[in-house]
Amino acid sequence: MGTPPWRINEVLDRAQNGPICLEKDFDSNLFVPELKRVIKEYDICFDKLTPVPSDDTLADSIWKAAMDFYLTVGTLCTDTYRRIVFTENEIKEALGNFPGRFTLGFGRDSREITGRQIEDKRRPFCLFSPDITCDEDLFVPMSMAYLQEPLADGVCAPILDEIEGMSIRSGSPSEIKGSVAHAMMFREAARRVGRPGIFLKSVGTAESDAAQIAASNPEWGERLTDGRFVASVTELKVDNSLLNKMVHFHTYGCFVGALTGPIFGGFAGGPEGTAIVGLAYHLQGLLVNQAHFLNYFPFHLKHTCNTMRELLWVISITYQALSRNSNLISLSNGFTAAGPCTPMVLREAATHSLVSVVSGSNLWEIAVAKNRNKNFATPMEARIACEVGCGAAKERISRSDANEIALALLKTYEEDIENAPLGKSFRDCYNIRKIKPSVEYMDLFNRMKKELKDNGVPFVY
Amino acid sequence: MVIERLYEALKKSVEEYKPEKAKKITKELLEAQVDPLKVLDEVLNPTMEEIGEKFDNMDIFLPDLMGAAEAMQAATSILTEQIKKSSTKPTESKGKVVLGTVLGDIHEIGKNIVKIMLETSGFEIFDLGKDVPSLKFIEKAEEVNADVIALSALMTTTMHSQREVIELLEALGKRDNYIVLVGGNPTSENWKKEIGADGWAETAVEATKLITKMISEKVR
Repeated sequence: MGTPPWRINEVLDRAQNGPICLEKDFDSNLFVPELKRVIKEYDICFDKLTPVPSDDTLADSIWKAAMDFYLTVGTLCTDTYRRIVFTENEIKEALGNFPGRFTLGFGRDSREITGRQIEDKRRPFCLFSPDITCDEDLFVPMSMAYLQEPLADGVCAPILDEIEGMSIRSGSPSEIKGSVAHAMMFREAARRVGRPGIFLKSVGTAESDAAQIAASNPEWGERLTDGRFVASVTELKVDNSLLNKMVHFHTYGCFVGALTGPIFGGFAGGPEGTAIVGLAYHLQGLLVNQAHFLNYFPFHLKHTCNTMRELLWVISITYQALSRNSNLISLSNGFTAAGPCTPMVLREAATHSLVSVVSGSNLWEIAVAKNRNKNFATPMEARIACEVGCGAAKERISRSDANEIALALLKTYEEDIENAPLGKSFRDCYNIRKIKPSVEYMDLFNRMKKELKDNGVPFVY
Repeated sequence: MVIERLYEALKKSVEEYKPEKAKKITKELLEAQVDPLKVLDEVLNPTMEEIGEKFDNMDIFLPDLMGAAEAMQAATSILTEQIKKSSTKPTESKGKVVLGTVLGDIHEIGKNIVKIMLETSGFEIFDLGKDVPSLKFIEKAEEVNADVIALSALMTTTMHSQREVIELLEALGKRDNYIVLVGGNPTSENWKKEIGADGWAETAVEATKLITKMISEKVR
C-alpha cells in the first residue's frame, strides 16, 4: 500500500507550476460559483428536522458533488498564486491505495486507528484534547489529566503562549523555545502517568514551520510514532509554510494529520456548502497534505462551535459520505458553546460524539467554551463525549435513533448557544495537585450521565 | 412614484447581488435629477445595514454579503463620481482605516468581513492583508493620515502582535494620533484593556458601529 504520501514531488511541482490564479479570483470567481453549481446540480438539501439523516442517496450525492467541486477548484497556493489541481484518476489512485488503518504510538501503549463505517460496532479511536492555551504552570498537570483518562487512545496537549516568563510570538525565537519545551514536557507527562508510548499529537504551540521542525527529535521531542498537523487556510488554500511542514513531517517519518475546519456562514455558505467543502478538504488532506488522518471541525462563523443542528447535519452527512465512498480515517472534533462544569457542555459533548460515531467517524474531543478562553477545558468534557461515542458503537445505535436522541438533546441547549455559560477554568474545577476533578464537577458529571442515560443516550458503561 | 419605484428597484438589485442592474438604476436616478447623497442616505446605506444585520444573524452568508457589497459598490462609485462633479468641496469618506491581520497570522476571513462592512458604510480602507509586520501598520497610517488602525488576530500565539503595535506607537510618540481597534476569536474586552487598545468588537457589524461612533465622538 503506497499512500500516504501520495507523490510529494507532484504536489510541490504543481504548487510552483500549476495554473495561475489570484486569491480574489479563486474565492469569488471559482470557489463560490462552483460550490453553488454543485449544490444545485446534485440537489443537496439540508433538513433542519433531521440532523442525522438516514438517506444513503443523499450521502452518495454529496460525495459526487464534492469530487466534482474539488476536481474543478483544487487547492490554491497563496504564495505562488498557483492552483494545485488533480485528475479524477489521480484522486482514485490516492484513494485506492489508502490503507485505511495505522498503528499509532508504540509498544504496549500503541493503538490501531481505522476508517469506520456507518453504524459501525467497532469502538472509535478516541483522541482526548483540550484544544486551548493554558498557563505555563498548568501545562504538565493538564496534560497528565488528559493522558490518564482510560478511554484515551491518543492525546493532544494544551498550547503554550508563554515560556519562562516570555510571551510566545509566532515566528520568533520564543516560539521555537516554547515548542521544544512543549514537546519535552508532554513526553514527560506521558511517562509520569505510565503511558510513555501513547500516541501524542503535537506541537500546537508551533504555528510556524521553523518551530515545528525544531521540535522533531526522537530522543526528547516528537517521535516517529507521534502525529503532527498540516492545517490549511480558509478555504482550500495552502502556502509555502504549510507545504514546508508537510515535506518535513514526511521526510522525518512521523504520522501526518490534516487539520480542516470549513466555516459555516463563510465562503462555504450554509450547511450544504459546508459539508461539500468538508469532503473536499478530506480529498485535499489526502492529496496535498498527504495525510494519514484528518481532524475535522466544521464550525459556525459567529458562535465558533459545532453543536447546533446545522453543524450536526454537516458532520453527519460528511461522515456518511466518507464512510460509504472511501476508507479515509477522520476524527470528528467537537466544539461546544458552553464551558467546563456546566450541564450544557456535557449535553453538547454527548450530542456531538453520538452524531459523529453513528455516522462513521472516530473522535477528537473536545474544544469547549467557544474555543477562545485560556485554561477553559478539562478532560471531563472529552470523557463524557467518548463514553457516549463508545456506547453508541457498542449498542450499534442506528442513525434514525441517533436523530431522535439528538433532537431531544438539542431542545435542552440549542437556544442557549448564543449566550452559553462560560463555566469554570481547569484551575477552578480540578484539583491541580492531585490531578482529579473537583467534587462539584464529579457530582455534576454523575448527575448528567444519569439524566442522559434516562433519555436514551448510550454509554459504554 | 417613478422615483420610489427606482428606489425599490435599486434596493432589490443590491439584495439580489446584481451590480449591472444597480449601475443601470443609479444612472436612471441621476438622469431624473435625484440628489446622489439622497440615494446613498435613503436607499443604499439602509439596505446595506439591513444586509449586515442579516449576515450578523447568519440569515445570509459571506458569499451573499460579498455579492451585495459588489452591487452596492457599483452604485456607489457612480454616485460618488457625480457628487465630485457637482460639488466644489471634495467628497470626504467617513474616515480612514488601516486594516490587517497581525504578524505571524495568516487568517483573513474575519478581517475581510470587517473590510466589506466598513467599505460599504463609507469608510476608506487600506487593507494590508495578512502576516503584517507591526511597523507597517504605523507607516501606512502615517502615509494616509488614517483615523483608525484595526488589528485582527486569530491565534493566541499571534494576538501579542496587537500589543506590539500599541507599544510601538507609544515608543514613537504617536499613540494619540490613532484609534486602535482589536478583534479576532481569541481577543476580548479584557484583552483590549490589558494591552491598552481603544476598542474591541466581536463581529463585523459591531466593529462598524464602534468605529463610526468613535470617529464621530473622537473618543480615544
